[in-house]
Amino acid sequence: MKNPSINIELEFISSDILEEFKGEEKMQYILDKIKDNKILVMEESLSSTDEAKLIEATMRNISEKFSGIEVSTLREKQENGIRETIIKLLGGKTGGLTVIGPSKLIKQIKKEPKRISVLAEKKQSDSEKNSEE
Amino acid sequence: MPFRKLLGWFKGFFGKKKIIRLGLYGPPNAGKTTLANKISIDWTGEPVGTVSEVPHETREVQKKERVIVKVGGRKIVMNLLDMPGISTKIDFEEFLQYGFSAEDAKQRAKEATKGVIEAIKWLENVDTALVIMDSTKDPYTQVNITILGNLEARNIPIIIVANKIDLPDSNAKWIEEAFPQHPIVRISGLTGSNIEDLYNAIAKHSK
Ligand SMILES: Nc1nc2c(ncn2[C@@H]2O[C@H](COP(=O)(O)OP(=O)(O)OP(=O)(O)O)[C@@H](O)[C@H]2O)c(=O)[nH]1
Ligand SMILES: [Mg+2]
Repeated sequence: MKNPSINIELEFISSDILEEFKGEEKMQYILDKIKDNKILVMEESLSSTDEAKLIEATMRNISEKFSGIEVSTLREKQENGIRETIIKLLGGKTGGLTVIGPSKLIKQIKKEPKRISVLAEKKQSDSEKNSEE
Repeated sequence: MPFRKLLGWFKGFFGKKKIIRLGLYGPPNAGKTTLANKISIDWTGEPVGTVSEVPHETREVQKKERVIVKVGGRKIVMNLLDMPGISTKIDFEEFLQYGFSAEDAKQRAKEATKGVIEAIKWLENVDTALVIMDSTKDPYTQVNITILGNLEARNIPIIIVANKIDLPDSNAKWIEEAFPQHPIVRISGLTGSNIEDLYNAIAKHSK
């Protein structure tokens, strides 16, 4: 059986880019990239509200071709710690990281409190299998 | 006496008890409906919804109103709200494996996406939340974290239910280690074991 080659594109996004968007726009920007088969690494952790909004937006985008996302967010240890508060006051970012990708491409994003590992896999959909024959 | 408290006292005095909207949250297949049915059958004799091994069986919020639970000499009146399972992906092809036709599978997927949105919208409209987790699975998932984070942000009391403890590979300790900040009860919604612990926890933590 021939093994079809897998192209996985990783895209790193700085939080400056994301800041330009308002609520819904940000989610659609993220989802458009993911629907393009990209795995995004973002230089920020999503808030709980944003996570919920992202899931909602994902649900609205689901179709026969797009089955959803795998996502994992790493938060800074203490979001409201003294160090973080000072950095925020000075206009800086306190870090954190979010990895999001299409669920068809990602078998699993394994999450541990301080580590994210991404297991990518090309799952063939039935339609792709048929078109190959 | 603060006004709210006074009002609560008056309502209590005139027999108008506060009704707790108890939301059952969690990923698909965690056992939310099984547990909702167990609670409802225990106290009203009637089930709440249908249970299935196929994920996304519940695709609309199922309600059972005015369920009166007696625990430790107290009466708690609850509206049970059995939520659709929340997930970040829904693949209609997954349903084909359960014998659905392509058309039915696509329809189920479509309804499931709406269900997830409905469950998220309801997050602000529950008084107490049971977050149900399958204790045979890794609890440290983004869905669990998102559910807990949103409830925490709204100050909604949370009870984590480590479910399916009747299964041999159940590991409730895993859940306790992942979320030490919340009360956790280990139960089997299917066999009903430890269900009393859950009623006690609801009485203790509800507001
Ligand atoms: N062994 C065991 N199985 C359980 C238990 N609770 C639920 N199940 C099984 O898990 C499967 C899913 O149960 P449901 O109650 O439909 O799960 P749900 O969380 O409502 O799922 P959705 O409606 O799809 O979100 C069914 O096959 C149940 O029989 C339990 O305590 N022990
Ligand atoms: Mg259900």
